[in-house]
Parts: sequence; structure tokens; C-alpha cells
Amino acid sequence: MTVEVDILVVGAGPVGLFGAYYAGARGLSVAVVDSLSQVGGQVTAMYPEKQIYDIAGFPAVSGRELVSGLFVQAAQHSPTYLLGQEAQLLSHVPTADGPDRIRVTTSTGTEITCGAVVVTGGIGTFTPRPLPAGEGFLGRGLDYFVPSSEAYVGKDVVVVGGGDSAIDWCLMLEPIAASVTLVHRRDAFRAHAASVEQVRASSVEIVTNAQVTALEGGDAVEKAVVEVKGEELPRNLPCQQVVAALGFTANLGPLREWGLELHDNRHLVVDSAMRTNVAGVFAAGDISDYDGKVRLIAVGFGEVATAVNNAAVHLDPDAQLFPGHSTDTPHQVPVPA
Amino acid sequence: MPYVIASPCIDVMDRSCIEECPVDCIYEGERKLYINPKECIDCGACEPVCPVEAISQDRRVSDEDQEFIEDNRRFFTEPLPGRDGPLGAPGGSHKTGAIGVDTTMVAGR
Repeated sequence: MTVEVDILVVGAGPVGLFGAYYAGARGLSVAVVDSLSQVGGQVTAMYPEKQIYDIAGFPAVSGRELVSGLFVQAAQHSPTYLLGQEAQLLSHVPTADGPDRIRVTTSTGTEITCGAVVVTGGIGTFTPRPLPAGEGFLGRGLDYFVPSSEAYVGKDVVVVGGGDSAIDWCLMLEPIAASVTLVHRRDAFRAHAASVEQVRASSVEIVTNAQVTALEGGDAVEKAVVEVKGEELPRNLPCQQVVAALGFTANLGPLREWGLELHDNRHLVVDSAMRTNVAGVFAAGDISDYDGKVRLIAVGFGEVATAVNNAAVHLDPDAQLFPGHSTDTPHQVPVPA
Repeated sequence: MPYVIASPCIDVMDRSCIEECPVDCIYEGERKLYINPKECIDCGACEPVCPVEAISQDRRVSDEDQEFIEDNRRFFTEPLPGRDGPLGAPGGSHKTGAIGVDTTMVAGR
């Protein structure tokens, strides 16, 4: 698949989504790529239910509401979303007149050619934390995501973890699996209390203070060995499917190979126009760094407006840096009463 | 801005926090865990899972444990006993494995 746009935003967190809105508002075509399969980045992955109190104009807003509002705001200009794929390779495409175009290739082979890139990658690519005891069975009964429930029909399933994903997967698989056992290493669950109650009320067997110490089987998983605190012998749970939902870790990943100047091996150094050292590549939000940087969503919103407007001038040196005011043109957005 | 692990962790090292940390910035000494202030993103995921409540934001560390703020930093910025250089920001504790050494302050407790 190939995509041609004016601006590619790398990272669909709050700052990336606002950048997509801003690029659209300037009449630029925009694509947003993210390794996660949903928008909202860290906020969606880690704290959708948390109240945020320092977003201008919102005395309190949940992570989920904030992301949803940003998504609707950006949708006015129909950005192209490329989710579930990681921006990997960056190359320059010379043009006869004007600055180089930039080509970014993703992990699924999508080729995006654009005039400028705005990196709003936060803390990098999220990847699921592996279940060390069973890595050899990955794809042979062990999964870190449940993309489709078909493989679980009529199976004995062990779900490992204590967060929202683990709980949600239990609820999703319980009606179709032969059995579901939830193994968590602590007593308390971090997941939404109402969902935990739903699981407790269901046929899911809950084993707490327990750890999966091994998966065993031949070609595929046949059982999980679970050590429970206070029990002398480990339990053997017969199962054909294991879902480990142990959270995510984040890493800058392939961005490290883009020739960008890094600070502390994790932030991209930018100037006051949010330009990185690579022509046509800008950065904003948590991933960007400069003297006096404050890592807050509120700050990232301003940075990405600066980045996108400067990117617009990079695309067309005759364009004005100042975009005009959003009040200049009529909008189709419902105004809250 | 980062989170800090203080005295209750010594000789407990439950490691639940290591499982929670999304940026893998909690490193294992011999008797205590340490949060790398350069790598911590201040998300707070580690704080509620610590069974001995050893973790807090650096601005909320108890008076008697104030010196652990600097000691967490020192674990990474100064060479640990028996090592030539400081750990710095290795980019994840799964890469380094357990360090197996404590700061002089922790070793003396």
C-alpha cells in the first residue's frame, strides 16, 4: 500500500491527534501512523479511566474523553489512519524543485511519501511484555493479544495478568471457551472494579498470588504450570490456549536509525520551531527535547501546533507561518451549550 | 519528577514494580531496587503495586527517607562498588539483568 500526503504524523497520542487536526485546518493532507491498533497512545493504553486536570478549558476530563474529543476534532479533515503498524525506515526522495520528499515505510509494508514528518512518538513503540516462562510457545497456543476469538472456541484457556486487558479478555472468552482460568500474581486487580466483579460472578476460575512458571506441551501448549503462594506443589492447568496480558513496554525502536539527534538516548532534540536536525522532520510532545522542556500534554499541544505550522512553511516556503485564527472560517462542529 | 524507591524495599525486593513499569526503568541491586530517574516517565504505575509501599514521587518521599531520592540517582550516575563506570541510562533493566550490587548507602543499612 502506498500513501501520498503533505504531512505524516508518527504517533497517534493526544499530541499527534491534535497535530492531525492542525494540519487539516491548514488545508494539508495528513496521515497518522501508530504501532498500537487504537488511537490515544499512552493515555489509551495506560490510563483511559484516569481524570486529567491540567488540560486547558477542561476542569476535569478522563483520558478516554480527551482522546475521543481529539479524534472528533481531527476527523473534520479526514486524516488517513495507519494503525497497528510501526514507522520503520526513513529515506529522502529528491525532487526537481524544492525540498526532498520523505518516504517512511512501516512494519506492514505501507509506504508513505510526504513533504514533512512530525514525530509525536511519546516514549516510543509499545510492545507487549513477554511471558518469559512460555516464550517458546508464542503463536503455538501462547498469545499476547486476542485479535479474533475463533481460535478459543471450545478450548481451555489460561489468561495471565491483572489489568484491564486480562479482565476484558476473560469476559470476552468465557462464553465461548470450554473453561477460562485467570492467573494473577497478586491478590488485587488493577482493572476497572466493575469488570472484575463481572469476572468474579462468571464461570472464570480465579487463581491469585500465583505465577505461571512454565508452559508445557509438544507442538502446542498442553498445560500451564502455576506456582501458588503458600502451596507446596505447583498446579498443572491443562489448557490449549494461553493469553498473557502483562502490560506493555515502550522503546524508541526504529526511530533511533533515522539520523535524529538524540538526548539521553530517548528524546529528539528540536529547535524553537520544533525542527529536528533532519530537514523536514519535526518533533513535538514528550519525545521532543530542548532547554526548559516540560513533559505535559498541555505543553505538547502547543508544540505540535508550532511543528505543523513550521512544517507547512517547509512544504511551501511561500506559505505564511501563521495559520490564521480558527475563528476565521465557519466550522461544522457542534458548540457545547 | 521521577518516582523513588525508599528504605522499605531493602531485603524485600518483591519486584512487582518491575512488572508494571512500561519503560523498564527499575533496576535490581543486591538487596534493593532502584528507579532510573533519567528513564522514569512519572506514570505512577509502580506505586500502587508495591506491597511494602516503598515507592513514591520524589516530591512526596517521607522525611526520614529523603536521602533515597539522591541515592536512586547515584545508583546510575556514580560507579557502583566493583564497577568501572556509572550505569547511566542503559534503556531497560531487561537488557542489563540484575545488577547485583547496591549503593554504598544501601549496603551500609
